[in-house]
Amino acid sequence: MTSRVLQNFKGGRALVVTGRCGWEGTLETTLAKLGVSSEYPEIVDGRAQIDIGSLQVERDILFVDGDLEGAVAIEVDPVSRLPPVPVIGLVGVEAPSRLKALVNLGATSFLRKPVHGGAVYTSLFMGINQFLLRSDMYARLQDLELRRRGRRAVIRAVVLLMQQNGLDEEGAYSQLRRESMRVRQNLELYCQEFLSRRAKPPDIPGRTTSVTLQGGKKQAM
Amino acid sequence: MARTHCRIGVMFSTTGSYSVVARSMLNGALLAFREIAEAGGTVALEPVVVNPSGDLARYRALSLELLGAGIRHVVGCYTSSSRKEVIPCFEKFDGLLWYPSHYEGFESSDNVIYTGAAPNQHVLPLVEYLASRVGTRAFCVGSNYIWAWENNRIFREALTARGGNVIAERYLSVGDTEFDQVISAILDQRPDFVFNNLIGTSAYAFFRAFRAACHGRGLDQANDIPVASCTLSEPELAEIGADAVDGHLSSSVYFSSLDSPANTAFIGAYAKAFPDGPVSSADAEASYIAVKLLAAALEQAGTDDARTVRAAVANQRLLAPQGEVRIDPQTYHAWLTPRIGRSAVNGQFEVLLEARSPIAPDPYLVQSSPRFAIAMRSPVLRVVQS
Repeated sequence: MTSRVLQNFKGGRALVVTGRCGWEGTLETTLAKLGVSSEYPEIVDGRAQIDIGSLQVERDILFVDGDLEGAVAIEVDPVSRLPPVPVIGLVGVEAPSRLKALVNLGATSFLRKPVHGGAVYTSLFMGINQFLLRSDMYARLQDLELRRRGRRAVIRAVVLLMQQNGLDEEGAYSQLRRESMRVRQNLELYCQEFLSRRAKPPDIPGRTTSVTLQGGKKQAM
Repeated sequence: MARTHCRIGVMFSTTGSYSVVARSMLNGALLAFREIAEAGGTVALEPVVVNPSGDLARYRALSLELLGAGIRHVVGCYTSSSRKEVIPCFEKFDGLLWYPSHYEGFESSDNVIYTGAAPNQHVLPLVEYLASRVGTRAFCVGSNYIWAWENNRIFREALTARGGNVIAERYLSVGDTEFDQVISAILDQRPDFVFNNLIGTSAYAFFRAFRAACHGRGLDQANDIPVASCTLSEPELAEIGADAVDGHLSSSVYFSSLDSPANTAFIGAYAKAFPDGPVSSADAEASYIAVKLLAAALEQAGTDDARTVRAAVANQRLLAPQGEVRIDPQTYHAWLTPRIGRSAVNGQFEVLLEARSPIAPDPYLVQSSPRFAIAMRSPVLRVVQS
């Protein structure tokens, strides 16, 4: 899988969570040149008023001022550590605690305050593309994890074929792989379905006796 | 009425490998200063001319010298590497660099006014022309710095989006004139055309050597493997020489052959002021435009303060030799009129195509590039045994 690189940010929306201090004008005008509009969520009782559910990953980017403690409460996926949309940290006080808070929000890029116009494109480019890269890597990990779990079904299907059809291990594996390719399924999923199909018909005399399933897996029959 | 006196830095490398174009730029700027002085007005401009000789360290040192002496506006730079070298100086002193050359885009400093063409005004129209009328297999050559790297990238992505492909990219040091290997590779590959981003003496040597090599193989270079550029201008045609001057494609917002009263006046005044040449060029016109717009903005602002002048130049309009030019208030780049020209034996360009009206600058290609970068195709098969 090759991660796509986003290079044109037209139509994007930046949600800038900060106390209005004046420097954000540079950020806003530079973002506008890049086709990105800016909005400033209101901060009430120290919390930015953001409707997290309405955020769109294809459109929105969160700029979070690291000097505002706890202003943003977004749910970061505990496994992927990914926020719902790309987060770019605005760094004023360069203290470990504040940087850590931004990292915990899932920030993939940073901008120093006061913002320098020449740094915005790089930060946006890195922030969004690192987010996309991490999302792709997480999706790959999920896929690999699923397939890892499915390897047990492959082993069972190979053993089953060896016993039923008198094939050796290589031959049984090759047959399963060939069939999975024919029906355009990955091998693990095909083997799971293969086992389900074989496990279903209890009405065929003698069928179950030839299927050697171990332990608790028998309840699937 | 009392005139406000204002010193303006003028910084071009009138010696060095790309001095021919730079001298035409200096001439363009000086012509504008002269016309402004003759016209009177409330602002009297005094050009302070410096020559970095193509040395990046000198660009920086001279910028600091000019800005340190209280000068707030400098018209200058040709190469992108020199512009990027001096921008931090202008940001430090809050001065304005009036950059009068086409460039590769992806920049928008608050301390620069860009009067040359942005990539959507030169390289994208060229890709459109080449893909529809010449072919889709390109061989790219360029000088080894950011202009060629980025312009080739934009070119490659735009050509790939039209179903074409770049066979190879080759880069040589600025000023390098050894082209045997590159030309041999081009002739072996037989692309539909060569996309050239070489500058200065490297470019002139390449045009001559490539024409001769094609001739040696019985090829009509201009028709069989034309060379297309975004940099080639009239003073450079003179440098290439009569044997290889014709048949080259150039994408530019200005050609000195344009038939308009404003251009006729410009060409006449330029030739009269600088009879020893070099002749005018797109970058000379951009320099002329930069000084004219600077004067208008200074007059409107009533001060030389960079912020005030920058605000004043937004939406300034000028009937320039190329047609109407105005500054975009968002990007501080210029609305310009793209054209495609083909060089002729008389050292001029025949205009083949031109936009109907000035085109908005799009330095980040926000309006004219795909959302995601186009993945470059790698070969499905690779050679494992030769």
